Amino acid sequence: MLSVRDLQVRFATERGTVNAVNGVSFDLHEGKTLAIVGESGSGKSVTAKTLMNLLPRSAHVSGEVTFNGQDVRALAAAGTKHFFGVQMAMVFQDPMTSLNPVKKVGEQIAETLRYHLGRSRSEALSEAQNLLTTVGTPEPERRISQYPHELSGGLRQRVVIAMALACQPRLLIADEPTTAVDVTVQKHLLDMLDELRRERGMALILITHDLGVAHGRADDVAVMYAGRLVEVAAAETLFEDMRHPYTEALLRSIPRINDPAHQRLDPIPGNPPELIDPPDACSFAPRCDYAHADCLDGVPELSGQLGQHRFACLHPTGGEDSISSNRDTPRSGRD
Amino acid sequence: MRFLARRLLLLVAVLLAVTFCGFSAMNLLGDPLTNVVGVLAELDCDAIAAGTAPDTTVDAASSDCDTVAAARAQYHLDRAVPMRYLLWLGDLAIGDFGTSFQNDQPVSAVLREKLPETLLLLVMAQIVSLGIAVPWGVIAAYKANRAFDRGSTVASFGLLSVPNFALGVILLYLLALRWQIFPSAYESGDFTSRLFSLILPALTLGLPLAASYQRLLRTDLITTLQEDYVHMARAKGLPPMRIMFRHALRPSMFSVVTVFGVSTGTLIGGSLIVERIFGIPGIGREIVTAVVRDDFPVVLAIVMVVAIAFVVLNFLVDLLYSWLDPRVRTS
Repeated sequence: MLSVRDLQVRFATERGTVNAVNGVSFDLHEGKTLAIVGESGSGKSVTAKTLMNLLPRSAHVSGEVTFNGQDVRALAAAGTKHFFGVQMAMVFQDPMTSLNPVKKVGEQIAETLRYHLGRSRSEALSEAQNLLTTVGTPEPERRISQYPHELSGGLRQRVVIAMALACQPRLLIADEPTTAVDVTVQKHLLDMLDELRRERGMALILITHDLGVAHGRADDVAVMYAGRLVEVAAAETLFEDMRHPYTEALLRSIPRINDPAHQRLDPIPGNPPELIDPPDACSFAPRCDYAHADCLDGVPELSGQLGQHRFACLHPTGGEDSISSNRDTPRSGRD
Repeated sequence: MRFLARRLLLLVAVLLAVTFCGFSAMNLLGDPLTNVVGVLAELDCDAIAAGTAPDTTVDAASSDCDTVAAARAQYHLDRAVPMRYLLWLGDLAIGDFGTSFQNDQPVSAVLREKLPETLLLLVMAQIVSLGIAVPWGVIAAYKANRAFDRGSTVASFGLLSVPNFALGVILLYLLALRWQIFPSAYESGDFTSRLFSLILPALTLGLPLAASYQRLLRTDLITTLQEDYVHMARAKGLPPMRIMFRHALRPSMFSVVTVFGVSTGTLIGGSLIVERIFGIPGIGREIVTAVVRDDFPVVLAIVMVVAIAFVVLNFLVDLLYSWLDPRVRTS
């Protein structure tokens, strides 16, 4: 349904050109969930914004994005109405800032229904109320006439989700939807998103820095580092048999339920690289436990074909013979 | 309710302060008696009454002395200045603004005659400036740092740096004399012709104000457009101008509304000149002559009207804030 080919995003800044996204390609099928996982600055949010045509004018985008056979970037350039927000919708990271503080919650949800589907004000408001019920908001009839500042963070994120779902999108992009809300609410929201996806048969792109969030929810996982995909696989394959050292490091840096108490987490040493004038080398090499001299000779390409387990590493970890015993399945966020 | 009460109290305090300062200044600078009766104030009436004055002046002066005595009584000039102020306040409380020195007209009649024209002019100037500034600011912010925006920056600084009298004369020349779209002077008569003849003066007052509103609105809008909820609105697939007017405009109006509240003083200052250029019989012209002649009942009445307008307008501005941002209401 969604296919992205060789997506490149560059920003011209005063300090030089930032290569935010470098040759990202992936496919997403109807009703499936793709998790895009990576640290901050890995290009995952920029990828999402590119799909939704939300980048500032200073961004230079190339590559191909097709959605059910339509060229998304051409649709955006032509200013096609009723595509974004209808076919594709997006949930933002921070519900505290992604709702307009001066408009009532109900109006903000109803707005899309009125604009895209031509509903009358009262129809749209009653639909908004139903949507709030769908996303598990208590007292929806009261909520629609409240302002965002009168709601808790968790409720606001539900409102944002209701807003995104209003026109029954076929694809929902959720950009770190639970990072800014209370830990206790995170799991509820994620499970709800998953359930709504299943009920509506829509596809979901779940962007997160937490591999645990992807576990048990995603059909496919794409790990991003420094603007590139470094490992892409079906979720089970990835968690069973991860090959890229970065994926492994990501997993080690999050707590696991089976760990003994007070066990120290393993942070990834160093910082993600600058994306201005990146060296012609594996961008993870400086932080990698397995780096060899040849890692500095050119950027490793993703192995294999689209749809297969692919990884961009000259010296992958694991493999059939060496599934290390200390690699547990991660905390799933369901525990 | 408490908010309203506090505001009313503030209004009273402001009025007392403003009138006291105005009253004192008008009474202490120059001799008010001279201002009322002119040269007659020089007469030594005590001497005339006592019969010690030179004979030649007595006959003519005794009636003049009555005039002087009447003036002293009417304006309480035999009392100390603070007492005079209290007596003036007392008269005011029963709706008596006093009498103009210049033509013996009651001040209330002067106000009734001149105030409506000025008010109409000021309201029109604000409507004109907001009507120009909002679309102008929106387009400038939408096209920030592109040709239109750069051009409009130059244009607005131009408008801000041209003084009122120059702008008035330029507009008068272009729109009234050259292209003959608007009349060149105030036309009394029915409401529409008055309104029509006030468009040019309103533009003269309103254009520089529009330029400053536009600068503020543009800057605030550019900031608002970076907000997540604007990105969210874009992700909802709403068209750019709908996002501008329905999402970004309202949260970006704070600076404009603040300046709107305090611009009244500047506008009244500007109307002194504009009323003169276009021959509008408003209080702007009235106050100039009144100040020059130390006609303090008129000056004080106008000062009071301006102060009331200022406080009331800023009260409305506070109400506007809470309409603009619901978060103000609860805090």
